[in-house]
Amino acid sequence: MAEARKVYLDHSATTPADSRVVEAMLPYLTEKFGNASSVHFFGQEARAAVDRARREVAALIGARANEMVFVSGGTEANNLAIRGITDASLSRTSQSNGDQSQKGHVITSSIEHSSVRGICDELEKRGWEITRLPAYAEGIVRTQDVRASLRPHTVLISLMLANNEIGTIQPVAEVGALVREERARGRQLWLHTDAVQAAGRIPLNVGTLGCDLLSLSAHKLYAPKGAGALFVRRGVRVISQNVGGHQERERRAGTEAVPGIVAFGAAAKLARDEMEQRSEHDRRLRDCFEAGLTERIEDIVFNGDRARRLPHLSNISFRFIEGEGLLISLDLQGIAVSTGSACSSGTLEPSPVIRALGRNDELARGAIRFSFGKDNADEDVDYVLEVLPRMVEKLRQISPLNKVSPMPNAAEGTRSQS
Amino acid sequence: MDPVYWISTSNSEPRTLYSQAFKDHIANPRNAGELPDANATGEETNPVCGDRLRISLRVREGRIEAAGFLAYGCPPTLVCGSVLTELIMGKTVAEAMLLTRKDLLEAVGGLPSRKQHAAALGIETLRSAIESGCSDLIN
Repeated sequence: MAEARKVYLDHSATTPADSRVVEAMLPYLTEKFGNASSVHFFGQEARAAVDRARREVAALIGARANEMVFVSGGTEANNLAIRGITDASLSRTSQSNGDQSQKGHVITSSIEHSSVRGICDELEKRGWEITRLPAYAEGIVRTQDVRASLRPHTVLISLMLANNEIGTIQPVAEVGALVREERARGRQLWLHTDAVQAAGRIPLNVGTLGCDLLSLSAHKLYAPKGAGALFVRRGVRVISQNVGGHQERERRAGTEAVPGIVAFGAAAKLARDEMEQRSEHDRRLRDCFEAGLTERIEDIVFNGDRARRLPHLSNISFRFIEGEGLLISLDLQGIAVSTGSACSSGTLEPSPVIRALGRNDELARGAIRFSFGKDNADEDVDYVLEVLPRMVEKLRQISPLNKVSPMPNAAEGTRSQS
Repeated sequence: MDPVYWISTSNSEPRTLYSQAFKDHIANPRNAGELPDANATGEETNPVCGDRLRISLRVREGRIEAAGFLAYGCPPTLVCGSVLTELIMGKTVAEAMLLTRKDLLEAVGGLPSRKQHAAALGIETLRSAIESGCSDLIN
């Protein structure tokens, strides 16, 4: 049997490093190995490279270079943003009235990435009030809900720019305008947005968005894993979560990961230069895939608003079957995708994002994410359209759901037919 | 059978890896479907995760001649259904009634503790099926 074709459709999980990015990075692993904090030549060479990368990453989001804090990735950026702001707010409160126990209020959504969701859960345990806004059937938070949730002690709104599972784009610019309006009235309120999935896929500008903090990850835009950045608007105070040296203007102690940062800079430049053609390419493949699938498979449900979403991503629930089984079947045919089913995430509950859309367990467990990238070709779509319907049919044939009763949720006793 | 399923647990995120044999049962399930001439059928649902298994048997003279399964749920549930049908075919009903969760676990090459309910569902469904048939099937 011929070697099966390999088709990678999981670019929202990670992307391969672009060869031009690797080329830019390699010298910083060997001859240009200096510590960017060192005074000597080796150190200054590394420092100059980090600063160049900082300008490139800043340019991707319309920020100033000195507003970028390099971190290890999206999770750290999100953690630093939320902890850094809420810690700063606590220290302000205790300075003004000596009361450390007075916690604030944070507004977020019910479809955030686990690195935002987890920090918010933790804050809640420590006495903070957390409002998690609904995303409705279309997977988009409503600005009026944000406005209605504001309290006198709200210090932070954390709303992702685009969702990682369904790709829906959130009204961050509208919320940014609201935050600026509130701040003009003397209120201490900040806006953080997790732009890990959006960066490099849609144009981003921190001025237009009106956000104070914005998280980025390098490996989602064709750079290696291990680097990320947090934009912190000038004048916004975040308390460093790392203790040690004075790196990153006291906001993130620890030796800069120079090779990863250089790669991030090179990838950010390419993302800016090639964004339009990449988006166009991904969108064309995605739309072609979705149209082909709709013709070939019945009982599928598209998750999330199909107009207001990232161009490279498609999230589809296949009725009567469970996502992980389909993922494995596709994997055996060389096709790599993701699922929101509980098995994959190691929990009992299926994807909270798909559940947040109001979908039942069957649809949440049957959700598969297909995310396209710049190296996918038309033939990849053809291949998936040829394989996927067969795999779905096979699993549906062994599923009791479409034959006996449609829902797996209700516990039933023995059903005998003798 | 080689170990078909194993798990490595990092600090917070358990990752599941599947062997080729395990994946093969997913891609090529054995005895999938409902037997048209079954004389015993059982169906059980795991109330916690919603996984569902349905087993149909054709029993002649106290011996399981043919078995079929339908399954909805995570891969271990699908594989337990597939392996179970292989395990019981040719056995007498009395022998099949003696099969335990442990036997099925062994036959699939082991499951991590949080997935062992898949084997429990398999055995439970098998017993439901046998009990649904005429009681004289057992003899």
